[in-house]
Amino acid sequence: MRRHEDIKFADVNNDIVRSLVETGPRYYVTLAIAVLITIACFFFPWFYQLYYGIGAAGMNHPTVWGTYLASFIFWIGLSHSGTLLSCVLHITNSEWRKAMYRSAEAMTLFSLMVAAMMVMVHVGRPWFIHWALPYPNQMELWPNFRSPLMFDVMAITTYLTGSSIFIYMGSIPDFAAVRDRTTGWRHHMYVLLSLGWRGTDTEWHRLGWAYTFLAVLIIPLAVSVHSIVSWDFAMSIVPSLHQTIFAPYFVVGAIYSGTAGIVTVMFVLRKYMNFEHYITKVHFDNLGKLLLALSLIWTYINVVEVFTGWYSNDSAELESLRYKLFGFYAPLYWEMILFCAVAPLLLISKRFRTSFVPMLILSIAINIGMYTERFLIVGTSLSRQYLPDSWGVYVPSLVEISILVGSIAMFCTLFLIFVKIFPSVSIYEVKETLPAPDEGKTQWQEATH
Amino acid sequence: MSLIDDFLARWREYRAPGYYEEFDYHWTMTVDLDRCTGCEACVTACQAENNTPIVGEEAIARGRHMQWMRIERYWEGEYPDVKLRAIPMFCQHCDAAPCETVCPVSATYHNQDGLNAQIYNRCIGTRSCAVYCPYEVRYFNYNNHHWDAPLEQQLNPDVSVREKGVMEKCTFCIQRIRQAKDAAKDDGRRRVQDGEVQPACVQTCPTEALVFGDRKDPESGVSQMLGNERAYTVLEELNTDPSVVYLKKVEADA
Amino acid sequence: MARSNALGLFGGPKAALAAAGKLRGEGFESLDLISPIPLHGVEEVLGKKKSAIKRFTFFGAILGGLGGFTLAAGTAVLYLHPTGGRPIITFPPFLIITYEMTILLGILATVLGFLISARLPVFRERIYVPESAVDKFAVNVACDAEADFKRATEILREAGAEEVTEIAPGGGQ
Repeated sequence: MRRHEDIKFADVNNDIVRSLVETGPRYYVTLAIAVLITIACFFFPWFYQLYYGIGAAGMNHPTVWGTYLASFIFWIGLSHSGTLLSCVLHITNSEWRKAMYRSAEAMTLFSLMVAAMMVMVHVGRPWFIHWALPYPNQMELWPNFRSPLMFDVMAITTYLTGSSIFIYMGSIPDFAAVRDRTTGWRHHMYVLLSLGWRGTDTEWHRLGWAYTFLAVLIIPLAVSVHSIVSWDFAMSIVPSLHQTIFAPYFVVGAIYSGTAGIVTVMFVLRKYMNFEHYITKVHFDNLGKLLLALSLIWTYINVVEVFTGWYSNDSAELESLRYKLFGFYAPLYWEMILFCAVAPLLLISKRFRTSFVPMLILSIAINIGMYTERFLIVGTSLSRQYLPDSWGVYVPSLVEISILVGSIAMFCTLFLIFVKIFPSVSIYEVKETLPAPDEGKTQWQEATH
Repeated sequence: MSLIDDFLARWREYRAPGYYEEFDYHWTMTVDLDRCTGCEACVTACQAENNTPIVGEEAIARGRHMQWMRIERYWEGEYPDVKLRAIPMFCQHCDAAPCETVCPVSATYHNQDGLNAQIYNRCIGTRSCAVYCPYEVRYFNYNNHHWDAPLEQQLNPDVSVREKGVMEKCTFCIQRIRQAKDAAKDDGRRRVQDGEVQPACVQTCPTEALVFGDRKDPESGVSQMLGNERAYTVLEELNTDPSVVYLKKVEADA
Repeated sequence: MARSNALGLFGGPKAALAAAGKLRGEGFESLDLISPIPLHGVEEVLGKKKSAIKRFTFFGAILGGLGGFTLAAGTAVLYLHPTGGRPIITFPPFLIITYEMTILLGILATVLGFLISARLPVFRERIYVPESAVDKFAVNVACDAEADFKRATEILREAGAEEVTEIAPGGGQ
């Protein structure tokens, strides 16, 4: 295996162009399976639900929100680390960002798309969903901008626009590099995508500034997006949802699950795209440290949430809290604590952080725990509200579980298509971490090898 | 300068929170729990008047009942010394309704009668209003409902039949209020008088536990009930300012 | 001789930068460095660059902010829907719309500013070296006269160019 300091500039181009154009049967089989699962588990049940009504899901009278909304928050949360982390690391000039940010940003983009699909699945009449968009119409009716759900519409539109522009702009030089090496339809596609990039000093200068401005704009945006998602809940007066801690709670949870998602994606890319010498132990070590810090913050906020509920001594809050900790859904709650608060403590050990398979298992466990968290936020709070006469229990139906599985397959499909179109490791930024042909080692290399 | 004055006047108007206080009516219902026997005649009347679907056994078991009005039953004490408390619960038509602010498409809003209106045609079914409602009185059409023949013959032509994916709830029988207002206009009167309009539940209540009227008319039945020392509103601490006022049950030993 | 370009290919950024600095010192104004990575130290050699992108971002964001509040408040006034006893024009929620619109238009304006100031996309062919997308660093000098061209070629070779080519203006290689 080649070591990082042995890689030459030309190798980077070769390796990454190879990852785009050389496609083995394994890729096609995986893609076919992902597409089939998406159709069978997402679209068929959804079409059935469109025909039958939301009743195909398990929602009932007190618990009118269910796994669809939990999935929505989950996917939005997963989107949070990619672009946000990339932006933060960009403006702080972190070298270790450069090999992994492209795929992390792609994760943002695709999980946002899946999240938007979950909204379509969630609403009762998705064929009228465009009424929630502000556009002049013959009814002279506009959406209600006082609604927390409208904040969502605006925030997610902005976030989707911002993160697609960010990933695209960072890829322009790479498209140009790939353009020269491809033929046929790929060549035409990259000619269009690269916009005629040449790599002159002026172009680099402009790109650098525009990219930094975008990063600076996207950081507060990403924080606002998940705060706004939390306000869907916190702006209600439902006991245990109406809490000021919710915005930071959601933002931290989102970055937490997103970082775990990046670890999963990094593992898969490294293993199956042969990027071993670009994505190294250093990346896993750094991501592991970040995960550890996030898990501690997350645990702290969870304790605060229980504490404020208990301290309020409000009968509805107390009942809601009791139900969450010891009621019908209690096993899920303790599972979440185990996966998201206890298990990540393993990250204290450097040996654990730099072992790939344990990191993969932990990252998946964290995301299972985080999905549970979102489910519990929706499920437990709505089943225990003010009037005891309207208490109920909600259990997801088969259709809901199938759509959840299908949404994961949809994410995988989008990602599989992505790795064949976008250079999934940034060519020019990886080169920046390498010694230039007439230079010695870079600082980054001296520090890490 | 009139342009600026005009702008400022409108700005002040739009910034004033009590916009609904300028409405013509403020329909109010009082529920005298001392008179209520929990007979559920109101529930049946409401179902007949408002084309509420009969959802069937299975849907009820899954917790998807659709009656706009329900009698909440709370038991007090241990057998054999038990007491039943029955509380009719339906849309409280709050002046500061949490459900109204959350609707992204303005399918629910405060109308000119001070009622909390639900526009079925505009509803996209986010169900957020049901989450935001602390009284749990909004009901969602989880699927299309049908009426077995000849039940479809008894559907009320004044009330629309709702399709799947739409939220619905008590309207204070808005169709009857409209008719009463039309009748008053035809008679050349400006306002509807007390007793001219009654929702189906009020009309049916055998013990007259429910009274309906306009709070803005000081002579009306409800206005006089409001001064009663037993009067309270449910979940008052949430500041939703409901239009339904309950009169506390008189305890024998109190 | 009409205008033509001298293009020197270098194996590394240091040599390319040195050559560019020397050319600049000799009075060549129209210089382009074509490189596979953003070069550090270009500004010391070729002088400070200024771009209008920040103005685009700034005014885009301001426009977005104004537009966002106008959108929220204006549409609320167009069709009055009293909701939840709140005023028609409410600040806390409308400020969130304003915030999001500020960022949205800020982003879009930045992109516009980038495209305009970097003169992208391109619809006609320009001088380009495919090797410079891999590991070569090119210095492209526009020369007005043959004497200039000769001098430029000399400087490029002296600085260690692996290859110097003459390119007719406006065309590819």
